[in-house]
Amino acid sequence: MSTSGGAAAGSVRFVSAPELDEPMLGADHPFKAVRLPLTRTLLEHAGLLDPTEIVAPERIDPRLLYRVHDADYVEAVKLAARGDPLDDAWTYGLGTADNPIVPRMDVAALRIVDATVTAAAVVARGEALRAASFAGGLHHAQRARASGFCLFNDLAVAIELLTSRYGLRVAYLDIDAHHGDGVQAAFEERGDVLTISLHESGRFLFPGTGFEDEIGRGAGLGTCVNVPVDPGTDDASYLEVFDLVVPSALAAFRPDVILLQAGADAHRFDPLAHLELSIAGLIAVYERVMALADRFSAGRLVVTGGGGYDPYRTVPRAWAHLWCEMAGRRLPETLPASWHAAWRGRIPTELPTTALEPEDAGPTDDARRARIASHNRAVAHRTLAALTPIWAGWRRSAHHDAPL
Amino acid sequence: MTSNVAAIGPDMPIRDVTTLMELRRFRHFPIVEDGSGGARVVGMVSDRDLRAVGSPHPSARPDVSVFDPVRLIMSTPVITAHPDDAIEDAARRLRRHRVGALPVIEDDRLVGIVSAVDLIEALAGQRAGHQPSSLLEVEVPNRPGGLLGVLGALARLDLNVASVNTTRSDADAVAFAIRLDTIDAAGVARALRDDGFTVLWPVTVDTAGVPT
Ligand SMILES: [Zn+2]
Repeated sequence: MSTSGGAAAGSVRFVSAPELDEPMLGADHPFKAVRLPLTRTLLEHAGLLDPTEIVAPERIDPRLLYRVHDADYVEAVKLAARGDPLDDAWTYGLGTADNPIVPRMDVAALRIVDATVTAAAVVARGEALRAASFAGGLHHAQRARASGFCLFNDLAVAIELLTSRYGLRVAYLDIDAHHGDGVQAAFEERGDVLTISLHESGRFLFPGTGFEDEIGRGAGLGTCVNVPVDPGTDDASYLEVFDLVVPSALAAFRPDVILLQAGADAHRFDPLAHLELSIAGLIAVYERVMALADRFSAGRLVVTGGGGYDPYRTVPRAWAHLWCEMAGRRLPETLPASWHAAWRGRIPTELPTTALEPEDAGPTDDARRARIASHNRAVAHRTLAALTPIWAGWRRSAHHDAPL
Repeated sequence: MTSNVAAIGPDMPIRDVTTLMELRRFRHFPIVEDGSGGARVVGMVSDRDLRAVGSPHPSARPDVSVFDPVRLIMSTPVITAHPDDAIEDAARRLRRHRVGALPVIEDDRLVGIVSAVDLIEALAGQRAGHQPSSLLEVEVPNRPGGLLGVLGALARLDLNVASVNTTRSDADAVAFAIRLDTIDAAGVARALRDDGFTVLWPVTVDTAGVPT
């Protein structure tokens, strides 16, 4: 990409629409859409989100969706959402414990795709340097199968837009606690998309993939980076392996734009995963992503949400911090009382009152932490050992922009 | 199992077998003799057997040199496997006979060779299915119907079991690693614990009382 013509330095956009605040898979499902209005209103009450920064999702060109998903799968989702009987629903991952069949779920899932593709388009067109679609981040959805609460893969569709319509090289960075298997599968044979996923090891956590020897195939050899970490991984160890692997991967690949999947389930309160990051640790990760975008993609950054199953205490605060990092702002130490007042009685638990958590996180087992850190370090070095020779080949190659 | 096995006759000089082994990057060769009933595996030779030749190692025969035929150092009788043998059985045979690989023989015909590394890889591969899945580890009483109760509860939760492996077993209890087609292993563990089952993984993330 040449330069971002009209984008004012530091300009940011926040994709939002009332229907994105509605649950895609039913009100009782653990994937809670209420995280979005909680995040947005926290920012609004704190005066950190300007109405002019909010954009509504545009309708995407349907052809983009079919580049990522098989037509029969898209049709099956639509039929199921309409209540039509579907004999082979199960083979599409529909009507399962994770992905129950819910009326109008196809419309909701498409709206999420619209939102993330809009964030990507805003950045690609140079209207903003950074844009967020916190409704997006459904990284488990596969070509012809719903998986892990995800119907349509908004991330993969946005990457298709950025690569096929704008000719950009995309670095996808996934900091969700789960492996970004759907996005990896969509692009592991492509040389113009780098996928990086740091996650709790598939030995212990869904979806059971994302090991360090998954490094891409064919034209995409070397464009797939996985760092599986142990349950119990804390801030220090996570940041250590992040610093070991992510900057070198971006330096080797030289992206035009970075797409961040910012699932907040790596936090220690998350009930579905076993990583032990704190809010301060997540902020440190976000700061690094901003610096890496400035260094490697001229600041261009598209951000989505993702997992995050502690929806009241953790996710709104984490994503509000992320937005502040994108916009160069700061959450006040004490969160606005008017935000708490606005939600009183509407949610089943108390909202947090401070921007950070109390320093004392309870008793720690230093020997266990050291052991986990040692193993994570060894894994990260294995990831690098497999990839570094391939990356060195890219640098030697005369055609810098096309790793073979 | 590796199917593409080099056929080595018992009269090939040891030096040539060594060269071939380095070329093919195998560590074990079956020695095959052509007879009236067709080709027959008469012995096995490993990289260790070859290296011992001419060395001061106590197991090395002082009268054998690298120019002698390989039949002088091959190990006999041959411990074999059949293509339909269970992986665990092959593993047990490797350990009992202290060998590193077994020729795989079907109806007197050599069809491949299986090494300890092959077996480890096969057993490791059983753990994760092809579909995305979560790990659940449960402990059940070591008596009839122990596992059935868990499987029934999983079926009632509308969950598909992608694979089951025993992780530990004693007189009283057996632990199973079960891979399920859900991201919400925590919810499944909660439901099973509520029904009185012993769930070893995932552990409970109880942060209800933690200050925010
Ligand atoms: Zn997740």
